Amino acid sequence: MKAGAAPLLIERLSKRFGDIEAVADVDLRIRQGEVFALLGPNGAGKTTIINCVAGLSRPTSGSIQVFGHDTVRDFRVTRRLLGLVPQEIVFDPFFTPRESLRIQMGLMGVKPDLGRVDELLRMFALWSRRDSATRSLSGGMKRRLLVAKALVHRPRLLFLDEPTAGVDVELRKDLWEVVRRLAAEGTTVILTTHYIEEAEAMADRVGIINHGRLVLVEERDSLLSRNRRGQVRAVLPVALSAPPAHLPPGTRLESENVIVAPWATARDIEEILRVVRQLGEPEEISIQQTRLEDIYVDLLKAAPDSLGRHREGESE
Amino acid sequence: MNWIGLGTLLAKEVHRFSKVALQTVVSPLISTSLYFLVFGVALGARLREVQGIPYIEFVVPGLVMLAMINASFLNTSSSIFQAKINGTILDILVAPLGAREFIVAFLAAAALRSLLVGALVFIVAFIFNGMGVAHPLYTLLFSLMVSATFAAFGILVAIWAEKYDHLAAVPNFVLTPLTFLGGVFYSVEMLPHPWDTVSRLNPILYMVNGMRYGLLDRSDVSPGVALGVVSVGLLTTVLVTWRVVASGYKLRT
Repeated sequence: MKAGAAPLLIERLSKRFGDIEAVADVDLRIRQGEVFALLGPNGAGKTTIINCVAGLSRPTSGSIQVFGHDTVRDFRVTRRLLGLVPQEIVFDPFFTPRESLRIQMGLMGVKPDLGRVDELLRMFALWSRRDSATRSLSGGMKRRLLVAKALVHRPRLLFLDEPTAGVDVELRKDLWEVVRRLAAEGTTVILTTHYIEEAEAMADRVGIINHGRLVLVEERDSLLSRNRRGQVRAVLPVALSAPPAHLPPGTRLESENVIVAPWATARDIEEILRVVRQLGEPEEISIQQTRLEDIYVDLLKAAPDSLGRHREGESE
Repeated sequence: MNWIGLGTLLAKEVHRFSKVALQTVVSPLISTSLYFLVFGVALGARLREVQGIPYIEFVVPGLVMLAMINASFLNTSSSIFQAKINGTILDILVAPLGAREFIVAFLAAAALRSLLVGALVFIVAFIFNGMGVAHPLYTLLFSLMVSATFAAFGILVAIWAEKYDHLAAVPNFVLTPLTFLGGVFYSVEMLPHPWDTVSRLNPILYMVNGMRYGLLDRSDVSPGVALGVVSVGLLTTVLVTWRVVASGYKLRT
């Protein structure tokens, strides 16, 4: 690891599959210790970027550095620093979970450390099945084994490619907890997902990719606050025939005694509440705020060209 | 060089074929024993000597070679192809292993299985007719070279294959016919012209005869020529395999 180097630096990365441009001219710098969520619809290019970094795909052009080392020239160094949890559940039926972890540790060039293997088996609740045939494990257990395998050599940069696709709520929460713990310990984590709530709950920064182009990279909190808007919904003690004057444009009646008024600033909310209270004490008030999902959907609705291509530092 | 990774991949491959030893080690032993029973015990007395030795002894080197070629080819081809199909090839591809570590580990594991199978087949032959080994060092070196050649060939086929049919086609339509026509059961001198000459275009003929020289001190070709042909074959397959694995062809998209 080169001191001060970014965990991941991608410059002008492009990847074509025949006529299809899977990744187009992507620049991205990942910061030490952050959890970065790469969002995008299916086929947007998320997995292709990860595969290029991990060496599973060869970039058509551009360069990738992991902690200052080129992923092609210094692949032995960079792959040792990376962990990858693949999207698909894959397992070798010949080996038990314990054997699989021990083998993966060795393949990554780490001396055998059964203590580490057993620690992971316990951490991922696989201890009781450590010597069972892997094919006999449940889907959730196989998914946990994949995460354990990606961690066995203590990677400094961890990729989780759709880690919670098709897993139950309990396992999803467990995986989130693992990611939080790793991040707290200094591991940099990049996760791809199309569960927006996952990115909202986990990520320090968010990147949105569409048609192979990185259309936005921003701090999650700044993205949310920059796009902060929502609506106030009030159930009134009186029936109305039309929305009262002095409320923001777009205010509507959901029913004769329910007002829904849009807000963009805190002052808007105060004004809406003041006007509503003049009509009588509301029976119920709720203030809804934009979620990352709304921003994501809005961004994807816009054509990539109109958004422009994200460049390092443009939005930071 | 990732020595720990190389050692682990080698141990993993040995572990893999050991776990299914009935299929990988015992099965070729049974089929070869049947050849001994048929050509040795049942028909042997009716067949005349070939090259001055009893027929049962004459066929042993070819059968040992047939078993070894199949064992080395199948060890690499089935392991890599299955890993491709079930996705676990990813475990190797994301590891800090270069083409060198990849090839050396797979070749060494396949050679171990091949030598094990070859040795067991020879032991059975020994039990049947008490034969010895005429040139032990030559036999060992020759066996290792042939095993590595077909192990490398197995890697190439596994990388190229896209379905099980492709994988099965090579032993069924290439290796077994070439081995049978490579003088396992007859001496080239017994063939009429031009088949005796055509046979010499078959590289496996040199492998069978090299083994026959090593075990029995009999051969249709000179041991030096056999060693030369195998050396060229080994060098060619390993170089091509190295180029293919290093390029990532059909392994890395």
